[in-house]
Amino acid sequence: MKKAKRHAAWSYFIAFFLLTAFVITSSMMLFLNYFAKSAGVEYTRSNLFTAALVTFGNAVFLALLCTGIDAIRRKLMVDRPVRAIVEAARRITGGDFTARISPKAATGASDGFEEIIDCFNTMADELAGVETLRTDFIANVSHELKTPLAAMQNYATLLQSPELTDDKRTEYARAITEQSRRLADLITNILKLNRLENQQIYPAAKRYNLGEQLAECLLNFESTWEKKDIDIETDLEEEVFVRSDDELLSLVWSNLFSNALKFTQTGGTVSVTLKTEGDMAVVRVEDTGCGISKETGKHIFEKFYQGDTSHAAQGNGLGLALVKRVVDIVGGEISVESEVGRGSAFTVKLRRAADGEIQKGT
Amino acid sequence: MFKILVVEDDRDLNRTVCSFLNGSGYEAVGRVDVNSAYDAMYGNAFDLIVSDIMMPETDGFEFAKTVRALNEDIPILFMTARDDFASKQRGYRIGIDDYMVKPIDLDELFLRIGALLRRAKIASSHKLEIGKLRLDMDERTAEYDGEEIPLTTREFNILYKLLSYPGKTFTRTQLMDEFWDPDTDTAPRAVDVYMTKLRGKFEGCGEFEIRTVHGLGYKAVLK
Repeated sequence: MKKAKRHAAWSYFIAFFLLTAFVITSSMMLFLNYFAKSAGVEYTRSNLFTAALVTFGNAVFLALLCTGIDAIRRKLMVDRPVRAIVEAARRITGGDFTARISPKAATGASDGFEEIIDCFNTMADELAGVETLRTDFIANVSHELKTPLAAMQNYATLLQSPELTDDKRTEYARAITEQSRRLADLITNILKLNRLENQQIYPAAKRYNLGEQLAECLLNFESTWEKKDIDIETDLEEEVFVRSDDELLSLVWSNLFSNALKFTQTGGTVSVTLKTEGDMAVVRVEDTGCGISKETGKHIFEKFYQGDTSHAAQGNGLGLALVKRVVDIVGGEISVESEVGRGSAFTVKLRRAADGEIQKGT
Repeated sequence: MFKILVVEDDRDLNRTVCSFLNGSGYEAVGRVDVNSAYDAMYGNAFDLIVSDIMMPETDGFEFAKTVRALNEDIPILFMTARDDFASKQRGYRIGIDDYMVKPIDLDELFLRIGALLRRAKIASSHKLEIGKLRLDMDERTAEYDGEEIPLTTREFNILYKLLSYPGKTFTRTQLMDEFWDPDTDTAPRAVDVYMTKLRGKFEGCGEFEIRTVHGLGYKAVLK
């Protein structure tokens, strides 16, 4: 490093020396020629020698001066911002995502450092965001995993007590069943999401009747809506075909249906419609449940985001993340409209498969 | 009493499933690997098999294949941690009858075993009897209180299907796919006509009712 610096200083000096020497020699020659012609002065050997020596010294001095000034300029306008950038980059590499570069580090506005620093700070912001998500995710996973475990442990301890009434025993055993079911659902969802996120997915493309899939999927929830006395309204356009991965999409529908039924109170209504808009198939799942606020709506497709921050509602906040991921994979669109207290409506748009006559070859 | 063979390598799970089934009116025999399951099958006639897939040495697929080759009718239920579609597909292609993903709900297992045994009985006898109603698959005849009710073949098939799976809703398309010619141009709404006819013909029958489920499909409900 030091050696390289000395080397660089020498080459700067030589460059400046050659430049100044060239400039001075040229101007001297011009000046002297003109002077000798107009004043008629004769050059003697000795005063020529002295003049050359003085000129040489002059050139050396000027070159030194230029090198010095250039070194100072460099120090202020290049070295300082470079050092600031290098320092911040090192901190980020070390895992400190709070590192930012002060814009003051770039003194000259025109040399591009400002732009680099701007970009760098944006990158650091993004990285910090991702890092927060990751730590939040881990915190959420451990919370969601440990809560049911803790509950099961407690109930199992309670069950060991010898003077327990039969009612209590049944109640505790049922609670353990309930909690383990919750844990099982969560683990299933985490694994599914993990499979969708970390593995290269090659969605199968099969032409199938979307309305039929919706009907069959909805029928899996028959016992749920009968138990909660929820009215089901369906308006499914017939003969709507899509070319997509039916197994992946059935994850979307069952999550949307189970959410709609979960958040709708007894006696409410859940409606499912399938319409076509141009070459798109539009599925709408609407409920008269508790609805979600605008703020919640923005984050609803994020992992572990739950409208109810106390984590009290059933579910684990992974369902809609799964839905979003699948819709992205199959190249569809999903949106949500909701009003607190009135209900929510999820809309999924998928590209329709070409009509019957075109697919004869398949 | 129905005898059920449970093949599952996890001893705790095996024990809980067996004692649950024994407590629910079945006679369950637990085996922790496929070879001892074969041994158990030599001396006993089982009515149903519950099997895991991932087991040491021989796996559940291999086991089911061997059993199916020897016995076409015995219901096989897979109880496994594998929830990927490929495994389900492979299982059903081998000829299993039902598939449950672990952790399983014992109450649900009980319901499914009941349904499998009932269907196995209907399938082997080709007869269905509900109260005063008698359906004969071989003759394609329906009798109510000793009196024959005239039905077309398609009407009979639809009714037999619905009554074989009471409480289960079938969509129009599912029924069309099964009972209409695949090249038919008939719209799925044609199924509605048949339902109206069937309801009319069995108006006096108090044993069951055909219900329309929210424009999605139809199911038979026993009373």
